[in-house]
Amino acid sequence: MDPLFTIISIILILPISLVLGVLYSFLIRKLNARFQWRVGPIIRMYSDLSPVIGSTRIWQPLYDILKLMGKDTVIPGSAHKKLFVYSPYMSLIFSILAIFFIPFPGMPLLSEIPYSLIIASYLIIASIMFTILGPVASGSPWGAIGARREAELFLVAELGFVVSLFSVAIAKNSLSIWTLASNMESLPAILLTLVAGTTMFVAMLGKLHIKPFDMPEAECEIVAGPYTEYSGKLLGTYFLSKVFILYAMVSLFIAIFLPPFSSGFIWLPLYAVAAVLLIFLLAVVQVLNPRYLIRKALLWYLKIVVPLAILSLIVAFAFVLGWMVV
Amino acid sequence: MGIINRARIYSPWLYHMHCGGCNGCDIETLAALAPRFDAERFGIQLVASPRHADILVTTGCVPKQFIPMVKRVYEQVPDPKVVVAVGGCACGGSLFYDEDPENYAILGSADLLIPVDVYVPGCAPKPEQIINGIVQGILKLAEKGAKKDAKQ
Repeated sequence: MDPLFTIISIILILPISLVLGVLYSFLIRKLNARFQWRVGPIIRMYSDLSPVIGSTRIWQPLYDILKLMGKDTVIPGSAHKKLFVYSPYMSLIFSILAIFFIPFPGMPLLSEIPYSLIIASYLIIASIMFTILGPVASGSPWGAIGARREAELFLVAELGFVVSLFSVAIAKNSLSIWTLASNMESLPAILLTLVAGTTMFVAMLGKLHIKPFDMPEAECEIVAGPYTEYSGKLLGTYFLSKVFILYAMVSLFIAIFLPPFSSGFIWLPLYAVAAVLLIFLLAVVQVLNPRYLIRKALLWYLKIVVPLAILSLIVAFAFVLGWMVV
Repeated sequence: MGIINRARIYSPWLYHMHCGGCNGCDIETLAALAPRFDAERFGIQLVASPRHADILVTTGCVPKQFIPMVKRVYEQVPDPKVVVAVGGCACGGSLFYDEDPENYAILGSADLLIPVDVYVPGCAPKPEQIINGIVQGILKLAEKGAKKDAKQ
């Protein structure tokens, strides 16, 4: 691909991913509220209030981040200062880097390079690692407990994430996201999409802290979990990286499991429909479930995700060995 | 008005500090955030840590044992911040406040310890009153934020 086009698309993807990530998190909040018989962040403000407090709240997650950027930052005396201050920025940098390796309709970005699947998954992992490291350095017991829960959850969720990605890679014999994303889906490959896609969806729940697996942020138990000691700009940076990670996970899901929605520009409407459906599913899971104990969540992952992961690997090897034709 | 100051009006986060009351005002405060009045329509959220908060909502009169905690929680809220005192006890100490002889256990209202910006009297105030008080608080927050930006 033309290097100039790649550079332009890398510059373009930043605002696009920010806007889409903010819209996705707004959608999750709004759907949550609607399922709980609340109104949620309002889409069209009441006409008498709109001159004072704005005409819409679609950009509510962005306003939250902007407000945090304008606040003072408190650094606790017991914190390891360097690690505490740099972790949010490192998390943000890695999540933004991960976005460059995931294709958007009409923009292959860097996903054409041979091992982009491995690079993207490692960058997402690195971003999450820094949401564990920062709280550990904060010196707060709540932060430490939150970070420990996050680490345990991350370890088990990672299993499903990696196996589901690589079973698709094994079946289609490629480690480049662009090749995986631009191949037309054949009929037997839908079986693989179903099995590996379910595994990936369950892994996404753990990575994005959707309800049965939101123990790291359990407000009624451990204050704000990993983010307890963070305030102002540092907290805003963490929230920003969360927005980017949400976008990255959704677009990675669509790229790997719903080809060819993220290849050509003409697929943009279907890409949008798929993204909204995925967010809707996440919101439904979020409202329907109570929070697991961390021990039970680990057991649940072992009981459900490991068999699913093994099944998706078996299906993938069936393709490779020629039992089924891709 | 700058975009950040506008964002302060759009997303005020509350930290609910219960100092020591009968729980009446707390029930009403939570009712103000529950589905019927749903304050999340306007971006108002209840947060778990005072370090994330913009508006400190205090209820109840302050017992003497609780003095260091109130000061500490107030200091943990990063600037710009606003304190909204909800209920008769938080506004003036109500029937628990005595000057002479001094009450052995209760200090009195929260404004003896920390600067309070908005008073919402009532025993207990209705959710509409509390939301009105928070709105006044948000306007003060924007003022303070503009001052802070001008200083820098």
